[in-house]
Amino acid sequence: MLSYLVHRILIMIPTMIAISIVIFTIINLPPGDYFSTYIAELQSSGEAADLAKIAFLKAQYGFDLPLWEQYIFWVGGLLHGDMGYSFAYNLPVNQVVGDRLLMTFIVSFTTIVFTYLVAFPIGVYSATHQYTWADHVLTLLGFLGLATPSFLLALVLLYLANVYFGISIGGLMDPHYVNRPWSFGKAASVAAHLWIPVVVIGTAGTASMIRRLRANLLDELQKQYVVTARAKGLHPFRLLFKYPLRMALNPFISDIGSLLPHVISGAAIVSVVMSLPTTGPMLLDALRSQDMYLAGSFLIFMAFLTVVGVLISDIALAVLDPRIRLQAGRRQ
Amino acid sequence: MPIKKNRPTRREVTQVGLALIAATALPGKTRAEFQETPALRDEVARGQLPKLAGRIPSEPAVADLEAIGRPGGELRMLMAGPKDTRMMVVYGYSRLVGYTPSLALAPDILRSIDVEDGRVFTLHLRKGHKWSDGHPFTSEDFRYWFEDMAQNKHLSPSGMPISMMPQGKGPRFEVVDETTVRYKWERPNPLFLPELAGPSPLFIYRPAHYLKQFHQKYADKDVLDSLVQQANQRNWAALHNRLDTMYRGDNPDLPSLEPWILKTKPPSERFVFERNPYYYRIDKEGNQLPYIDRVILSIADSKIIPAKTGAGESDLQARYLRFDNYTFLKESEQRNNFHVRLWRTGPGSQLALYPNLNVSDEIWHSLVHDLRFRRALSLAVDRHEINQVIYFGLAIDGQNTVLPQSPLYEPKYRSAWARFDVREANQLLDLIGLTRRGSEGIRQLPDGRPMEIIVENSGESTEQSDVLELLRDSWRRIGIKLFAKPSQLTLFRRRVFSGETLMSIDKGIENGLATAAMSPWEFAPTSQQQLQWPKWGQYYETKGTAGDTPSLPSAIRLKELYEDWLAAASHEEQARIWHEMLQIWADEVFSIGTVAGVLQPVVVNAKLRNVPEQGIYNWDPGAFFGIYKPDGFWFDLSEAAAKSASIDPSPPEPR
Repeated sequence: MLSYLVHRILIMIPTMIAISIVIFTIINLPPGDYFSTYIAELQSSGEAADLAKIAFLKAQYGFDLPLWEQYIFWVGGLLHGDMGYSFAYNLPVNQVVGDRLLMTFIVSFTTIVFTYLVAFPIGVYSATHQYTWADHVLTLLGFLGLATPSFLLALVLLYLANVYFGISIGGLMDPHYVNRPWSFGKAASVAAHLWIPVVVIGTAGTASMIRRLRANLLDELQKQYVVTARAKGLHPFRLLFKYPLRMALNPFISDIGSLLPHVISGAAIVSVVMSLPTTGPMLLDALRSQDMYLAGSFLIFMAFLTVVGVLISDIALAVLDPRIRLQAGRRQ
Repeated sequence: MPIKKNRPTRREVTQVGLALIAATALPGKTRAEFQETPALRDEVARGQLPKLAGRIPSEPAVADLEAIGRPGGELRMLMAGPKDTRMMVVYGYSRLVGYTPSLALAPDILRSIDVEDGRVFTLHLRKGHKWSDGHPFTSEDFRYWFEDMAQNKHLSPSGMPISMMPQGKGPRFEVVDETTVRYKWERPNPLFLPELAGPSPLFIYRPAHYLKQFHQKYADKDVLDSLVQQANQRNWAALHNRLDTMYRGDNPDLPSLEPWILKTKPPSERFVFERNPYYYRIDKEGNQLPYIDRVILSIADSKIIPAKTGAGESDLQARYLRFDNYTFLKESEQRNNFHVRLWRTGPGSQLALYPNLNVSDEIWHSLVHDLRFRRALSLAVDRHEINQVIYFGLAIDGQNTVLPQSPLYEPKYRSAWARFDVREANQLLDLIGLTRRGSEGIRQLPDGRPMEIIVENSGESTEQSDVLELLRDSWRRIGIKLFAKPSQLTLFRRRVFSGETLMSIDKGIENGLATAAMSPWEFAPTSQQQLQWPKWGQYYETKGTAGDTPSLPSAIRLKELYEDWLAAASHEEQARIWHEMLQIWADEVFSIGTVAGVLQPVVVNAKLRNVPEQGIYNWDPGAFFGIYKPDGFWFDLSEAAAKSASIDPSPPEPR
C-alpha cells in the first residue's frame, strides 16, 4: 500500500508539469494579450486607454520576453506560492480570490448535499420498484431535469422569486449585506438567496445521479447473492443496504476525483447568469480578457485538486471494496 | 519686416476666463450663512472635522442648480466589473476645467485660467482648497506630477503624455505662487484644455503629500523597500503606479477632489463611496455639495443589469442598458417607482460601414479608392428603412458626421450622398465599367469574380447583424451581394489592420458633438483604430516607422488640415479648418453612415431630483452624467413627493 502511494504521488509531478504547459499554451494561443484586448474593449465603448500606464505595466510584467521565459517566470512564482498578478483587478491573484472561495464552497457544498438528499432515495426507490407508475413519473421528472437548460431555469426562477418574494435579482445576499461581517440577518439573507442556485445547479446533477444509481442497483439486484440472501429470509431493507447498495456505490466514490475541482469552480454558466459572487464567473472573465496569471493560476489550482481528488477516490475505492487489488496492472 | 505675431499685448482672455465670473459670484452670501451638512454634524461637534467654512475654499464654486436640494440619502447604481470604479471619477466630473451642459469650457476646480495666444496657460487655484483628507491642494501638487512623475524614467517610461507635447516638445513649467502655476509652450497647444476636461482626463496634479511616501526621491529607502515587499510589488515604481489611481479610483487611501470618495477596499462586489467633506462646491443657500451622502456601486453581470434595474435595484442607471430594454423597463416603471427617460447618444452614427482603403486585394483596392464606388454604396443604403425597422423611427438618418447639436453642424454634411437612390447608384457603378453581370444579376469584377462584399463586425451585438440584413436587400438592387461575418473583437481589428477585411461595420465617429476647440483627429488619418485607413493612421501614430503613407490626395489634405488645426491659435481659424475637413469628409464618403442619435434609456428613481429630463449621453464631451454634475442631484423625501411618486408615476410635465 505504501509503495503504491509513493508511486502515485511521484506520478503527480510530471502530470502537473504537463498540465501547466498545456494551460500556459492555451491561454497564450489567441492573438494578442490582456492589454491589447483591454485597449480594444475600451475603444469599442468609446473610451481612450491610458497608454502610458499600459506601457508601464507591459514592461513591468515582461510581456516583451519570449514565451518560454514568461512560462518559467510564472511557474517559478507558483512554486513560491506567488500566483502572479491580476491585471483586471490590479491586485495580486491570491487577494482577488479571497471571499469568493468561501461563497463557492457554500454554494457547491449545499448543492452536493441537495443532490444526494434528493437523488438517493429516488434512485433506490425507482430501482426497487422498476416499471411501476411511480418509477415512470420519477424517471420523467428526472429526464426533464436533465433536458432543461439550467441557465433558462435560472432566469425563470430569478424573475419569479423577484416578483413574488421580493428577493433581489442575482447575487447571494441582499446588497446591503455585502462586505458586512457575518450576522444572523446576513446568514438568513444568504439562505433566502441560496435555494435558487442550488435548485438550478442541482437539478441536472440530481437527474443524472438518479439514472446512474438506478442502473447500477438494477444490475446488482438480479445477482445470485441477492436471491440467496432473500431466500434465507433477510429483511428486505437490511438486505438492500448491506449488499447491493454498497456495490452500486463504487461509481460515486470514483466521482470524488471530479467532485473536488467542481466544488471550487462551481457551475460557471449558471453563476454568470445569476451573477453569483463565486469563482466561476471570475475564471470565465479572466479567460476572456486574457488575464493570464489569474486564469492560469486558477486553472492550475483546479488541476491540482483534480489530481488529488483522483488519488483520494482510488484509495477510498481500495479501502471500501476488497475486490479491487492495488497490484493489478503494475508489471514488476 | 513681417508684423510680429502673437505679441503678448494681444492678450486673449478666452471664453474660459469669462465663464468663470458667473460661476464664482456669490450672491450676497456671507460666511455665517453656510449650512452644516446633517451627516457631518456629529463629527464636527466632536471636533473630528473642522466647521464647513474651514473645509471649503475661501472662494468656493457656487453651483447654479435647477432646484436647491436637501442633503442626505444613498444612491445605488449597478456596474459590471471591478474596473468600473472608474465610472465614479467619470460621473463625479471634478476637472480643472470642464464642459458645461452647453459644451462650453469653464473653470471648475480652478478659480480661473488665463490663456495667452493658445500657448501660455496660467492656472489659478482656489485659496483654501483641500484634498479629501484635509491636506491643502496647492501648486506643489502640480509640480510633483510635472517634475517627479512625468519626467521620471521609472514612472513614465514613454515620457510625457502626447497631449502635453503636440509638436513634440513639452512646456516650460513654472510655479508662480502657492495657488498659481503656469505652462508655457513655444507654439499653441489646442489639446491641453479639452484633455483636462475629458471624461478620462489628463491629470496634471497628484496628491503629492500622499504619493511622496512611495517615491524614491522622498521616501526613506528601507521603509520604502519594506512597503514594496508587503504589497507584493517588484519595485517602488510599480508600487507608486499601483497606488496612484486617480482615474481608476480603486485606492481608498488616495486623497481625491471628487464629490464622493471610495471607502471600500477592493476586491469587492459592492463599493461604497462617501461624501468628500472637503468638496469645493456649494449651492446658493450655502449647502455644501454633494447632496447625496453615499453612492453604492453593486457589481453584477452586465447581462443581468437591465433585469436588476427593472426590479428597482438602481436609482440612476444608463450604463449597460440598451434601447431594446426600453419596453421592459417601461413596464416595471410603476411597480418599482422609477422613470425611464430617453437621452440622445453622441456618436456621429450609431453604426457606419467602413470600406477599407488599405485592403490587400488589388482589384478591390482600386475600387474602394474610386470615389464613385463609395458614393454608389452610400446611395444604396435605405436609411429610412433602417431607422423605422430597428429604431422605431426615433433616430436621425444621415452620414457619419457631426450631429445637429454641434455648433459645427450644417445639414449638407449629414445629407451628402445619404438619400436612397438606387438608379443613380446603378449609373455610377455602370460608369466605373462594372457592367458585366453574372448569375442572379450580380455584377462582376474586372477579373470575372462576382461582386461579393463581406462585411465583418466584432460580433458584440445583434444590432449589427440586423442592420446588415436590411442592407443586403438594398445592395442586391445595385447588383452587389453582401455577406455578414461576425467575428471576435480583437481578431476583427487585427484583420482590418492587416488589410484582409474589405469592409467592416462598427460605431461611427465618437464625437458627434464636436466644437471647433475639440480635436478633429477622428476625421484625419491619425490612428490605426480608424477602420477605413488603419495603415495610414498607423503611419501617423508611429511617426513613419510602420504603416503606409496616405495615397489619396483628399486623405493627405485631411492630415495637413489636422496639423494646421494643432497649430491654429484662434477660434475662428480652428472653425474654418473644421469646416473644410467636414466638407471633404462629406464629399469623399470615407465611411458610410446609417442613423445617429439613437436613444439611450436612463432610469431615474422617482424621488431623485435635478436629473435633466432630456440630455445627451456621451463619453467625450459629456462624461455620461458628468456634465450634468451629479453632485447637485438629490432625493426628495418629503411626503408630498412620496405620494406623488406612488400615485402618479407618469413622467413629469414636458418642458
